[in-house]
This record gives sequence, C-alpha cells and structure tokens, in this order.
Amino acid sequence: MSTTSAGRAGSAGHTAQVHGEPLLRVRDLHVSYAGAVRALHGVSLEVPGDGIVAVLGANGAGKTTLLRAVSGMLRLVGGAVTAGSVELGGVRLDRMNPAAVVRAGVVQVPEGRQVFEDLTVEENLRAGGLATPARSRRQNRDRVYETFPLLRERAAQRAGLLSGGEQQMLAIARALMASPRLLLLDEPSLGLAPRTVDRVAEAIAEIHRHGTAVVLVEQNAALALRLADTAYVLEVGRVALHGPSAQLTAAGQVRERYLGGTAPTGPPATPQPPPHRSGPDLVVDGISVHFGGVAALSAVSFTVVPGSVHALIGPNGAGKSTCLNVLTGVYRAAAGSVRYDGVELTTIAPHRIARLGVSRTFQNLALSASATVEENLLLGRHRLTRSGFFSAGLRLPAARAEHRRQQQRVAGVADLLELGPSLRRPVATLPYGVRKRVELARALCAEPTLLLLDEPVAGMTADESSRLAATVARISRELGISILLVEHDMGFVMGIADEVTVLDFGRCIARGGPAAVQRDPEVIRAYLGGGSS
Amino acid sequence: MTRAVELLLNGLSLGCIDALIALGFVVVFKAARVVNFAHGSLLLLGAYVVGRYHDRLGFAGAVALSVAVTAAVAVLVGAVVLRRVRLADPGTLAILTLGVDIVLATELTRRIGTDLLSTGDPWGAGVVLLAGVHIAQTRIAAAGVAVLLVGAFLAALRFTDWGVALRASAERPATAALVGIRLGRVAATAWFLAGGLAAIAGLFFTAFPASGVTGTVGQAALGAAVPAAVLGGLDSTTGALVGGLAVGLTAAFAAGYQDELAFLGRGFGAVAPYVVMLLVLLVRPSGLFGRRDVTRV
Repeated sequence: MSTTSAGRAGSAGHTAQVHGEPLLRVRDLHVSYAGAVRALHGVSLEVPGDGIVAVLGANGAGKTTLLRAVSGMLRLVGGAVTAGSVELGGVRLDRMNPAAVVRAGVVQVPEGRQVFEDLTVEENLRAGGLATPARSRRQNRDRVYETFPLLRERAAQRAGLLSGGEQQMLAIARALMASPRLLLLDEPSLGLAPRTVDRVAEAIAEIHRHGTAVVLVEQNAALALRLADTAYVLEVGRVALHGPSAQLTAAGQVRERYLGGTAPTGPPATPQPPPHRSGPDLVVDGISVHFGGVAALSAVSFTVVPGSVHALIGPNGAGKSTCLNVLTGVYRAAAGSVRYDGVELTTIAPHRIARLGVSRTFQNLALSASATVEENLLLGRHRLTRSGFFSAGLRLPAARAEHRRQQQRVAGVADLLELGPSLRRPVATLPYGVRKRVELARALCAEPTLLLLDEPVAGMTADESSRLAATVARISRELGISILLVEHDMGFVMGIADEVTVLDFGRCIARGGPAAVQRDPEVIRAYLGGGSS
Repeated sequence: MTRAVELLLNGLSLGCIDALIALGFVVVFKAARVVNFAHGSLLLLGAYVVGRYHDRLGFAGAVALSVAVTAAVAVLVGAVVLRRVRLADPGTLAILTLGVDIVLATELTRRIGTDLLSTGDPWGAGVVLLAGVHIAQTRIAAAGVAVLLVGAFLAALRFTDWGVALRASAERPATAALVGIRLGRVAATAWFLAGGLAAIAGLFFTAFPASGVTGTVGQAALGAAVPAAVLGGLDSTTGALVGGLAVGLTAAFAAGYQDELAFLGRGFGAVAPYVVMLLVLLVRPSGLFGRRDVTRV
C-alpha cells in the first residue's frame, strides 16, 4: 500500500520543509487516557511556518487526541502525554494549560463550532480577543470583518441564531481574534452543505495567505488535500502515511483508504445466493427524522433481504447512526415505517424489538468493563434465560443445569469469533480490537435473526479490520442471519456486502452491488468531494 | 388593605437583600460550577466583622474592612476548593463547601460567644411613614444599595471584558479555555464578588428589624439564597434577582398572615419559600430562567 513517492512515518524524505525550522514540531508523541487507554503511539509531525498541513484518518484514529495534546486540553479530559513532546518554535506546549497555549500563538477552532450561543456575534469575537493586548483587538476585528463581511451585518445578533455555516465562520473568526501564528481547525466541514464547505475552504485559504500556518483535521479528504501542502494519515494512533498532498492524491493511497481499493482479503465478491432464507425481510420505507429544523433523514427506504449482508454507508453526518437509532426504537421517525416480521418497529419499546430477534452492537462499545468476557456474553443471553430471581439466587438444580447449558452456547459463539482463550479475562484488560469482537459476540448470543452492526471496525487497524470482515462474512454464511452493517469505512464493506445503500445529508444517493456503488460518481463526490475524481 | 401594602413593601425590601445573597450564590455557580453552601457562612463573616469593628473603625470603615475580609476569604475558599479538586464532579465540590461552611460557622459562633453584636449602622431603629405604612429606614437603605449594586453588576456582566469572559466560560468552559480565557481567574473574580456581595447583604440581613449578629444568621441566609437561586435557575443572574424578590415577598406575606395560615402549623413563614420553589420546579425543572442542561447538579 505504500509506494516510493510518499514516505512512511519516520522516513527522512521530507520535501515540504525547505524553509528551515518548522513552526510546530510534534516529536514521537505518546498519549494515554486515565493511565490505561493508549490513544497515540509515537506520532511525529511538523508544520512549517507558512504551510497548511492536513491530518486525515477515520474515527478513533487519534486526530482529536493529537489536537488536544497541542492545545493543552488533554489534562482537562483525563489524558496525559507519556512520552515525546510538542514544541512551537522551540517552546514546549505540552506542559502548558490551554490559555497559555493561546498566548503562545496556537488557537484551535473546536469541532462542532461551539460558538457561545447566548452571546452576540460581536461578543463572541470579543471573547476570542481577550488573550490579546487591547490595542490590537480593534485591528483584528476589522480584519476579521473584512474576511467575513457577513459577521459585521450580524454583529448584534445572538450567535445561537446563526446557521451552521455562519457559526463555522464565526468560530474561525473568533480564533483569528487571538492573532494566532498557528490555527488548528477540527473538522471545519463537518455537517455543512457542499456550497458552505467551499466558502469555508476559501476562508481558510485566505487566512493562510495572510501568513497564518494551519493544521486541518478533516474527514473530508478531498477538501483537506486540496488545501494542504502536506498531509498526514493517522491510523489507530500512528502516522500510517505522510507526504506532499499532491503526491498522496496522485498515488491514490488516500483514496484507497477511504473508498477501498481492490476487494480486500477473502473470497472474490461474486454474489452467491444466500444459503438459507430463514428470517423475514426488514423493510425500511420512507423514514424521515428532523432535529429542530435540520432534516437528519429524509424519505430513506431500503430492504434487507433475509440471509444477506446489507451495508449502509456514507460520510460523517450522513444520517447512518440516526437511521440505526430509528430501527432500534431510540429515535422516533417523523414519517415512514420500519417493518420486520410484520411488526412496525418505529412505535414499540426497544426491549420488544430485541424480542423479535433483532440484536445490535454499538460503535462506542457498551460492554461492562470489569466483568469477564464470559459474563458479558451471558448477559447477551438474558432474553433466552428462563431461571428467575429466586431459582438462580438459590442455585436450584434446574437453574444450575440451565447455567451450564448457557455457558456451552456462549463458548460456541466465542469459538466462532476466536474469543475462546479470552473467555475468563475481564474486558478492561483486552485490546480495543478484541473488545469490538466481544461486542459482536454478545449481540450474537441473543441468537438474532437480524444483526445490526454500528461501525464495527471504527478505530481498528487495517489488519484487524480485514480479519473482522472475514468473520462477519463467516457469520453470515454459517448462521444464515441477516446483517445490516452501518459503516464509514467503504473498503470494509466491499468484500462482504451483498447490497449497499449510500446516504449523504440524510438522503439516499445510491444503492446496488458494492462494485457498482464504488464507481458511482455521486458516491465518489460524497466521500472525496468534487475536486478529486 | 394597609396591611397588604405594608407587607408588600416589606417583602420587596427583604427581597432585595435576598436577591443580593442569591446573586453571589449564582455568580459562583456560573463561573466555577460550584454550588456554594459556604455562602451563608461568608455572609455571617461579613456581618461579624462589621459588628465587631464598627466601634473602633466607625461604620464606614467597618463595612470596608468587612467587604475586603469576606471577599478575600471567599477567594481563598474558591482557590482552595478549585485548585485541589478542579476536575471533581459538582457533587463532590458542593459537599466540600458544606465542610467549609461548618468550619467557618463554628469558628464564628465561638468568637461571637455571648456577645450581643449590633451592626452599628447610622439608621438604627428609625422608621419612616411611606404611603401610609411604616417601614424601617434600614430596609429603604438596603433596597437602594441593592438596586445600585445589582445595576452595576449587570452592567459589568454585559459590557466589560470580565463579563464577556464569565458568560463565555459559563456557557462552554472547554471552548472558553480554547480561545484563551483563563478559567481560574474568571472563577476567582466571581468568588471575590460573591464575598463582597455577601458582606453587604450580611450587614442588612442582621440590621434592624433583625436582632443582630448571631451564629444562626448564616443558616438563615443560606435558607433564603437556596430557594431564590434554584427557583430562578441556578445559572441565571436574572433568575437570582427574580427569585430573591419572590422569596422575600413569600416570607413577608407568610409571616404577615400567619394567623390566617395557622392551620398549616406555626413557623410556616420559614417553609413557604421552599413550597414556592417546589411549585416552580414542578412546572419548570430548570427554574424560571435556567438553561436546561445545567440542572444535573
């Protein structure tokens, strides 16, 4: 996957830093949370004083942690730098608090904009300028208004009333009020419409022209690669790739990671007829969900055929998780229906949905950390356990016999997922990739006829991810259950899905076999943006 | 009718004092996310300093000393509480302030001992006739001072850098830190103001017609501040003012009509503000002006 044009982490081939010492230098940074979870394992990165550097990567790759380490927020969320350093022009940043980092010249625009909604636009800008000397504030504000004329018009309005795009402009403008030497942007395009994204991109380019270095953390690879001189791709806390962005784009490596290249390991994706058509159809028909005035889903329809693997994919903010939450009764749909086995799922309680044979996993693991793998899996069998409070508590013979039976079933599921050796270990002691398997095993323990998987490979390495793809394919083949897979990583679904539905901004933009969807120009645009097909 | 007007005026003037107390309570919560149960003891400290030193320093000097001492102690409490356990959850911090409250109140009670401490204010026991009803001069002074202080406070909140910083960090602390606002300083300023307000409120809380500085004053003040702040919305300064007035009026009317309310038992006046608070919370769980997402405390 690595060609000679773009060096791997640690190799000497830098072409971007021809202007001497970099402004920001991150050296072999290791970060852990609560002394246990390791989020970064030796990240090195350099930002030249006149550059735009993109940091790409999937959910859980460590992008946010890297930003926290630079901006001084790490300690406030229970994280710590365990090795390595962050330096701005030779000054250590990783021991400063956030306010001191801002005064040193590094300002972050947080993810999700985070404007002060109760303050007016002007007061937001004023808050942004509190770290600078009073005399430079007026000058900064005039320059900010020049870059964002719209904010001048809205100066007296409460920031909470601005649209998402306007709030993003305000968040960037607020950061500029502190006259940064280095601006950190965390997902500035997240959840914005394409036209708004273009305006944000223009603003970033203009800020850079005025002499501010920029670190751009993005899921939108096309936008990031278009703006940046250099790009780093993080994967599970490590730099997997880095180099000049033109070369990364040309070599197609980033595209490969986002869209999936040729079919991954495993059998070729020749559509085979599903072995048994055991369960019923899951029919999603025209569901719409609104959050306030924002349409999270508009009239989305698809059908999961029994025994098949159906993938629901789309970029961040497309509405995938919202869709899953409607299926499991967490959110109410404003319109449309979801029918499984003749029952309307949108109106019944979540535990009754489970009784219909629908089982799900969670993106952010919902396991009991101190309990062993076996105990977690037994919990997954709760629906199928008959012993009551008294018979189990008194260990009556019937209850003990049932317990043994349940343990055998659990052991069977554990074998299927290669968890046999870990059965007696507490979940907290297992690596992340294994915990994701436990989560999947627990869902299987309920003996579902329909399995819903929410981003099963988020935060996994490429290797773990392809192993899990093989496992999911095997589950589908051997157990004959229907699987609905919600996934950001397109490469993962390519080898295993029978059918793919693609969402973008809450609408269904493509459907069909994986190979056809992968070539669909709409899909490529949604994932990579306009400029890079 | 005259009695109703008299109770209304008395209730409003009492409410002004309650509003001052609640304002200090709320400003600390806004800036530091601490429910400060030591606020009553801070108020007692303020009243004690005036009561102990007005003979030697004169009334004005004693008040100045009281504001300075109380504000300093408040900052000390805030810095100690904050610095040690800044990341602790709000429940832990609230319990810590309870501990501070007990220590401070016990020490002050010991120092007061059997002394009868009066505030030595220039208004004494004077009463004026206003619109046909009698009202204590101290209460008129209290209302005037409260209006001035609250006005100055609201103006500062709206127009100064400190006010912008306080409102920003109250809404989104993490983001405020990211734009370079020093959360520690904002919080320390809030504690300072809360102490100053407590000292002034303590003066009027113990002046005529109240019976002077005793060890139970802190509890009584906290008993007014908590329902006022909670029914107004813990993080809202407007809420503190409205809540303070509501508590003052409720207390005045419940006391004034206690014969008619005798079927509810003696001493209903002390409970009445809490009844009002509960009724408000049933309808608006975050208080009248509170933000919906901060009521997890």
